[in-house]
Amino acid sequence: MSGIAPILEARRLSKRFGGFLANDAIDLSVEAGEIRGIIGPNGAGKSTLVNLITGVHQPSAGDVLLAGESLVGRKPHEIARKGLVRSFQVSRVFGNLSVIENLLASHLADARMRETHGQGFAKATRLLELTGLIRLADAPAKTLSGGQRVLLQAAAGFMMPSLTCYLLDEPFAGVNPVIKDQLIALIEEESRARGVTFVIVSHEMAVMRRLCRKITVLIEGRVVVEGSLDDVAARADVVAAYLGKSLV
Amino acid sequence: MFSFELFTQALLAGIVIGVIYALMALGITFIYSIVKMINWAMGEFYMLGSYAQYLIVAYWLGPDLWYIAAILSAATVFFAGWLIEPILIKPMFTGGIERRDDYATVVTIALLLLLRNLATAISGPYQRTPGTNLPGVMLGPLPESGARFAAFLAALAAIALFTLLLKRTWLGLALRATSQSRVGAQTSGVDVLSLDKLAFGIGVGLAGLAGALLAPVFMVYPTNGVVTTTKGFEIIVIGGLGSVPGALVAGVALGIAESLGATFIASAYQNAYGFVLLLLVLALRPSGLFGERLRQA
Amino acid sequence: MKYTSRVAAFAMLLLASLVTPPVQAQEPVTIGLVVPLSPPGDPTAGQLIRRGAELALDYYNGKGGVLGGRKLQLSVQDSQGRPEGGVAAYRRVVGEDKAVAVTGFFHSSVNIAANEVAKSIGVPTIGTQTSAADITAKHYEIAFRTHLIDPLRVAAWLEFMQKKGFKRVSMLAETSDYGIGLVTETDRQIKEKKLPIELQSLTFDRTSTDLTPQLLQVKAFRPDLLVNVGVGAPMDLMIEQAATLAITPQVPMLVSYDAPIRPQFWQLHPNTGDKLYFIAYYSPKQTLSEIGTWFTKAYEEKYKESPVYSSLNGFGDVAIIAQAVEQAKGADPKAIIQTLETGKFAFWSSGEVTFPKADGVFWHNFSPPVLILQFQKPGQDWKEAEVMFESGK
Ligand SMILES: Nc1ncnc2c1ncn2[C@@H]1O[C@H](COP(=O)(O)OP(=O)(O)OP(=O)(O)O)[C@@H](O)[C@H]1O
Ligand SMILES: [Mg+2]
Repeated sequence: MSGIAPILEARRLSKRFGGFLANDAIDLSVEAGEIRGIIGPNGAGKSTLVNLITGVHQPSAGDVLLAGESLVGRKPHEIARKGLVRSFQVSRVFGNLSVIENLLASHLADARMRETHGQGFAKATRLLELTGLIRLADAPAKTLSGGQRVLLQAAAGFMMPSLTCYLLDEPFAGVNPVIKDQLIALIEEESRARGVTFVIVSHEMAVMRRLCRKITVLIEGRVVVEGSLDDVAARADVVAAYLGKSLV
Repeated sequence: MFSFELFTQALLAGIVIGVIYALMALGITFIYSIVKMINWAMGEFYMLGSYAQYLIVAYWLGPDLWYIAAILSAATVFFAGWLIEPILIKPMFTGGIERRDDYATVVTIALLLLLRNLATAISGPYQRTPGTNLPGVMLGPLPESGARFAAFLAALAAIALFTLLLKRTWLGLALRATSQSRVGAQTSGVDVLSLDKLAFGIGVGLAGLAGALLAPVFMVYPTNGVVTTTKGFEIIVIGGLGSVPGALVAGVALGIAESLGATFIASAYQNAYGFVLLLLVLALRPSGLFGERLRQA
Repeated sequence: MKYTSRVAAFAMLLLASLVTPPVQAQEPVTIGLVVPLSPPGDPTAGQLIRRGAELALDYYNGKGGVLGGRKLQLSVQDSQGRPEGGVAAYRRVVGEDKAVAVTGFFHSSVNIAANEVAKSIGVPTIGTQTSAADITAKHYEIAFRTHLIDPLRVAAWLEFMQKKGFKRVSMLAETSDYGIGLVTETDRQIKEKKLPIELQSLTFDRTSTDLTPQLLQVKAFRPDLLVNVGVGAPMDLMIEQAATLAITPQVPMLVSYDAPIRPQFWQLHPNTGDKLYFIAYYSPKQTLSEIGTWFTKAYEEKYKESPVYSSLNGFGDVAIIAQAVEQAKGADPKAIIQTLETGKFAFWSSGEVTFPKADGVFWHNFSPPVLILQFQKPGQDWKEAEVMFESGK
């Protein structure tokens, strides 16, 4: 696949919190249609990387490119409208909005899309059917279980009409196996049908093995290795970082 | 001196003023829910609305077209807010300001003083009134001035329209999403900073509408917004910060408590009954009648 | 060379004699004027008092000044209606500008605070439109006043009620020193004089804008007269809301001070001001003193409108100080105090002003006559309002 221009690229991306370097000159290159995994121990800087890419935080140095265009200095809503969407590790569903409104919120964000109300509604309904949340469509999102919220938040990202690249920050944490399977199915479906590119941060090695051909390992803010899960799990420094626990 | 007639009169008077109070409070609670700041200058936007109504009615449209004047006055105040927000409020989010609450407090109190002194300097301390030709009405046993009854009906209509805007429109959905999580809304593609401008304008516009409607009832003078601010804050604490139904219920509850308290307990403490109600609510439900106990993630 | 320099020196001398006053003793006498010129004070009142004071200067300086040729001048300072502002203003006019007496006070709290400082500095004050008892009741040597005090205001309206045969009276008063003071005093005098008046007294917070609950009780009481003891906006709101509840005009209303003479009154109350009674301190239908007549004429010429009480009293107080300086034959504040206590002075109203060391609140106090006026038709000029009562007549 070499030779194809990457859809998402980070160049020497760094973030300093006070005296602490949370991301240290990270280089990352994700190809269109790829499902990339990012793993690393707690505090490695994974969420920070997602925040830098999606404009929630401003990088201290370095650049982020989406389809060759720099995103640094752009506001989060502009980045989202360009099709680079994310989910949060701590789910940020809109508790007082109904389940279906949570989905519609992403669809309407771009003023031009408001013309296509009907489309948005149909798409939301399809996503709710796919995730099994359809009978809760009109319930306030705050009444959902933790797992359902994660699922809802992940589904909301798919509502973005221009979605090209989706960053999911630990979407499987604390989620029961049924919902986990629904989520995996959703990702595979969107990847196949729409060619959406994914970057998935997760500790769930079994899922990572199933979804991602290539894994990037982050330790103490630096990329230490990239490769298939089995390759990176064989590396001594990776095993050490996980305190000797076997990854696989 | 209890009599059934007096009780009914006081109750009705309390409901009428309560709905008007609710309209005054709505803007405070709405701005807080979106922009996450307390606007201490809310009463001064009420004051601007009342002066706008006075000028439009007295020098242009006349008292018979009061309703058009009220819409124009509210629109004027909306634009004032829309213009002020990017200058004064926006730096709270973009200027790298650390203590946002302190910043908002200082800025809006400075704005309060500026607007009040400006009004005194331009128009003098005198009271004014746009006047009204609306005939009085009887609400059961309670004689009510036409202007106040009109303000009551218009306040109900404005609250209903505002609720519809929030529940039934795309803009309303974006506003409600933003009130839940600013970052969440932003990463869903909502331009929260320009929504702030709109929300601030709508919020102060609601106060301006109250000022315009009540100009012939409570008169027009530089400090006439003080009531809006004090009652407004009592109401949002009682009703729950950020809650629209809370503002309506708490407004009416406050109106009734003040009216009955002043009529049957002691009239000097008219303004204290609201605080009693407030303390009671805080003791039983610290987040207010319709407030969330904890912000839902 | 010598010649020209001598000519130059002579010319210089000539010039100098033109600019420096001929005699050392002709330095002006300064009178301090502490008035509210900005909020939270009442700037309108401050301006009106200042107008009167300035015309008093015109009057005396036009006659060649005092003490055989010394001009009078004013040192005006803004109190902002705040006690601290008033104290600072008093210190400035006395300390920097060497005022021999200070007047112009409008807000009672400012007058009280200034008197506490004046007590040790020793330059006298004359309260121009301050009514709190403490201003004179403390019996300070330096404290004088020419304004209507509560007991006389109350005595006047009780006499008026007697004359009119009002038996049931509602008083709706704000919970300020002013409002509570008047309610208490009315109640006290009714009991003391054993008057056949049943008094319903209700109070409200100054910040209230809705007086419906109180007025509903007034309506239920069915009084013969409603006394409106609000100041500023609450007074106006009460006029409107009492009419809404159909209390007035069946039950007449008496406003406790002269607010209805302000120019915006009929604009605010086009349909509700008729037949209103109100306390006033001056009416053009009243007979005035010689200097009072001069003043009203001069004022009308200068400002194209009739003077109001604030201006009259501002004029009168400066006139009293001018006369006291003249009678004391010097501008020493101690001597002025002496003279104020013993002398007799012309004022804008007819009759002479004295400041006896009388009991209680009447110490060093002169009260101008109280009038009760009534509008006879909507839109009536207050100067045409009927004089329904005049104290002492
Ligand atoms: N806003 C912030 N201010 C200061 N320090 C921060 C901030 N955000 C993150 N950090 C620090 O940066 C480091 C990396 O945090 P980050 O959340 O990116 O780690 P992570 O890899 O996502 O960890 P986890 O697996 O626990 O989610 C941590 O030490 C964290 O304390
Ligand atoms: Mg993380």
